[in-house]
Amino acid sequence: MAVFVLSVFWVNPSTCMAQSADDGARAARKADAEKYFRNHVAPFIKTYCLECHQNRRPTEAGLNFNPALKSPGHAAFSEKWKKAAARVKAHDMPPDGLEQPTEEERQMFLEWLDKVKYLSPQDPGPFVIRRLTKTEYGNTLHDLFGVDPKITDAMPDEVSGAGYLNSLSPLQLEQYLSIADQVLDQAFAPDESPPTELQQRLFGEPPASGDDARKAARKVAESLAKKLYRRPASDAELKVLEDVFDLGRHNELSYPASLRLMLKAMLVSPQFLFITPAEGFDTKAEIVPLDDFQLASRLSYLLWATLPDEELMTLADSGKLREPPILKAQVKRMLEDPRSRALFDGFGAQWLGLGDLGSKTFDPSKFPEMNGAMRLAMYDEARLFFEGVVRENRSIASFIDSDYTFLNENLAAIYGLEKLVTGTEMRKVQLTDDNRGGILGMPGVLAATSFPNRTSPVKRGVWVLEQVLGDHVPAAPPNVPALEKQDQHSIAHLTLRERTELHRSDPVCANCHRLLDPIGFGLENFDAIGRWRDQDDNGAPINASGELPGGVRFSSPSELKAVIAQRLDAFARNLVEKLLAYALCRKLEGYDEIVVDELMQEITQDDYRMQTLITAVVTSYPFTHRRTE
Amino acid sequence: MIKNSTIHRRTCLKGVGAALALPLLDAMGWAEASERNAYKPPVRLGFMYMPHGVIMEQFWPTDAASFLTSPPPALDSLRPVLDQCLLMKGVSGVPISPFSGAPHALELSTWLTATLPDPDKRDEISISISADQIAANYVGAFTTLPSLELATMPQTWKENQEGLNEAYYSHCSFRSPTQAVPAETNPRNVLDRLFNQKEQGSGRASAGISALDRNMLDLVLGGARDLRRTLSPTDQRKLDEYLDSVRSVERRIAAIELRQKEAAMEKAGVRSSRRHESDSPPIEIKIPEGDRRSEYMQVMCDLNVLAFQTDTTRVCTYIGSTPNGVSYPELGFNDQHHSQTHHNNEPEKVRKVAAITAFNIEQFAYMVKKMHSLREGDGTLLDNCIMMWGSGLEDGDRHTRENLPFILAGRGGGSIKTGRFLPDVKGNQGDLLTTLLTCAGIPLDRPIGIATKQLTEIPANV
Repeated sequence: MAVFVLSVFWVNPSTCMAQSADDGARAARKADAEKYFRNHVAPFIKTYCLECHQNRRPTEAGLNFNPALKSPGHAAFSEKWKKAAARVKAHDMPPDGLEQPTEEERQMFLEWLDKVKYLSPQDPGPFVIRRLTKTEYGNTLHDLFGVDPKITDAMPDEVSGAGYLNSLSPLQLEQYLSIADQVLDQAFAPDESPPTELQQRLFGEPPASGDDARKAARKVAESLAKKLYRRPASDAELKVLEDVFDLGRHNELSYPASLRLMLKAMLVSPQFLFITPAEGFDTKAEIVPLDDFQLASRLSYLLWATLPDEELMTLADSGKLREPPILKAQVKRMLEDPRSRALFDGFGAQWLGLGDLGSKTFDPSKFPEMNGAMRLAMYDEARLFFEGVVRENRSIASFIDSDYTFLNENLAAIYGLEKLVTGTEMRKVQLTDDNRGGILGMPGVLAATSFPNRTSPVKRGVWVLEQVLGDHVPAAPPNVPALEKQDQHSIAHLTLRERTELHRSDPVCANCHRLLDPIGFGLENFDAIGRWRDQDDNGAPINASGELPGGVRFSSPSELKAVIAQRLDAFARNLVEKLLAYALCRKLEGYDEIVVDELMQEITQDDYRMQTLITAVVTSYPFTHRRTE
Repeated sequence: MIKNSTIHRRTCLKGVGAALALPLLDAMGWAEASERNAYKPPVRLGFMYMPHGVIMEQFWPTDAASFLTSPPPALDSLRPVLDQCLLMKGVSGVPISPFSGAPHALELSTWLTATLPDPDKRDEISISISADQIAANYVGAFTTLPSLELATMPQTWKENQEGLNEAYYSHCSFRSPTQAVPAETNPRNVLDRLFNQKEQGSGRASAGISALDRNMLDLVLGGARDLRRTLSPTDQRKLDEYLDSVRSVERRIAAIELRQKEAAMEKAGVRSSRRHESDSPPIEIKIPEGDRRSEYMQVMCDLNVLAFQTDTTRVCTYIGSTPNGVSYPELGFNDQHHSQTHHNNEPEKVRKVAAITAFNIEQFAYMVKKMHSLREGDGTLLDNCIMMWGSGLEDGDRHTRENLPFILAGRGGGSIKTGRFLPDVKGNQGDLLTTLLTCAGIPLDRPIGIATKQLTEIPANV
């Protein structure tokens, strides 16, 4: 059981950090959670779940409640509590035909989600070293050697799932070697020719004849390693580099050629390819603050997708970077720097689902306008908007509604504003239509959540729930036919809305779809590439009205936006959780929930400003600490 | 003379150190002591994938008797080499419970592993080593590339079905339970890699990785071990994958050096034991200019053929397309593969899926026919290969996996009896992979994935 394997890392609360007042409150909440579990949750599980989901092979749906009954607060189970609650909430579980809990019991089980986190000890979570992504690697080479970041194009493409970025195949290593050669060929002069300016800067003056070349090489190694490893190198690491230099000399390479070999060795070393901690921490402590160099790297790869600049390195050198006012000032400085577009390319695009817009298929006969330029404009609209919210430190409410966006001629045609905007340049445009403005009315988002040839109210509904409001939508049960597979004769006369509503005539589907579909219908006025329409493909009028559970009604995209704007807190929390998970390169669990609670207080107090949100994440406990084992 | 070259081989291998597990030389086709002292070409293993299943009525032969004379429409392109092929019906896929969805992530990731991803660690890669990589571990040590992985579309897909790691959607080769092997999608890069050279911007070709690199890597490796000691156990495991990759590249450099020595000896008049004089010369590779899908798929086929022909690798996995969908404008329609597979028996969509399937099999046929046209030893290159074409679903419409479609081609050095259709094989895809690896002479310490037995109908009764 994975749950038990992980228990090796089960650590005690770190005592050094806690303040006594907080301690008292925390202990009280913990005791309350334990009591709640004993009195309510455990009996619920034993009555309704355990018969199927118990410790036996094969586990029913991969879910086994036995370990959770023993240690309900275990981090490894926190995701499962959420999924279980979502299923119970949707009346998906327990399945029909088995004993059903009362509504009160269901409600009780849902409330458990707010309490389980208090069982978790203070813990920054696992910190696993990871290698640089293809983008980060390219940017880093660019910043170090002035080469085009596209030099890494031949590297295999990457998927963003956890685990993948940590691993490295022989093919990749060969490419690292070959790219190192290309970089050095471009940046340095061939042997015998006068050195390039960069070469001189990195290697310094060659030692005069008779001087100790090895000693000179060690000095070069020290200064290069500090740049490439993004921290001071240890003696052992310098020794390795010296040995590589010697290897070059033994093979009758010149002094600069031997230095070049040494540099190449650095470029394929794990210290360069991975973000690794500097050595030397108190090994008795189970949790330690990140050293300043590691913090600098973590920060700069998060916000810039490249290595720390000199200012960050200088602060790390003096040990001051971790001081909260300094760290906050650095975040502000970094966000104002153009390099922070990396935060959108890496995080924003993924959050909004725009990462694959460039390669997504659209039916070319139906949507001939979806060419490369149009897709790029859609992506850039979202990017410029996101960057604006960040740099101008606006409230994140602007993501839900705003009266401006960014358009060029191409994209303006989608908005019906082609008379207003000419030229290929993207520029800020004032909007008067309440249905537009904000991410819900953005063509890129609307296109990314459509099928190649038509809209998908279901996909859009899922997108709003998961990406905007942070709800968990359980996966569709198996063996449900997609719309295309419904009996063609009986549905021939139905509109897409009526066909989709068939979901709700089937009780298995109804539970989730009565939540999903109305949201998606609310956006039906936007076609599959985000153009406004009053009629669907068959000429029937669009009915964009809907009702959310709880009786909130709406009849247009702008009203739907208003409904969602009422839930700004849920939206903010979702954004914090997604950004924190991205920053930590792992999913959130256990104690992280408490961290998010605290961050939310900070953010709410400052009117949900975007820079405050980002700063809160970057100064948070799990971002600035790590376990030692 | 032959003995002479063996010494070189050993000398060279010594540098690789203990990391290199020496396979049994005779099982590898390196034997020197056969009666006529003739070189027996090694068995090569190739896998080619198509997602989303087939139109079954057009794929399965009616019966064993008519297989050769009137094959089903999907196999039309294979007609000239049907006697080199073996079809078997009744090979089932891995049961997907406890997963209830994610059919396409599972069809690809289970294809060569015959194992389900670990449902408790969905967001990580946690599956098992795949059959091609098991083979590469065994036969890869003596070729300059342990294995070759090819694909014709980027291996990224931002869809997270059932919480499964996105890599499952686009990878079928796994070096270890936690490590997916990325594939090459650029034919130019593959060619450079096969011949260990890199075209520079100015057009001059420079040598790829070299002996000096090997020694340098050795030092880096030592340094990485120091670093490893300062890391937590989890981090250590991550770094191990790095170390393993470095060692693998070192092995590759050693193998390249070996080849260079052999070539030098051949030039000096010492005949290599490897090739017969009657063997066909290496095929030519033409990298296509346009973006026709058939040309792209065929140049990758050519590279696979060339890699086998020159014994640059003995294992190749070629993902013809990943489940995230590609369209085939050459067939006269722009629909994406996946969208058509949910055809609900509408004739138009069925026709398109059948056309896409036939197109994919045609590319496989192109490769197999080429191998059949190349002389090697006493027969053809194909005689010494086991080429497997297949899909991870039977019916893409309903996502069934009872009778996975597979086509085998090649006699595997005489280990497989071809020219047959086996209409009722009772086994699963693990059994099939286990059988194929055994036919290729690869000893297994355990069955692959869900395998419980060998499919005894497949091997030739030697």
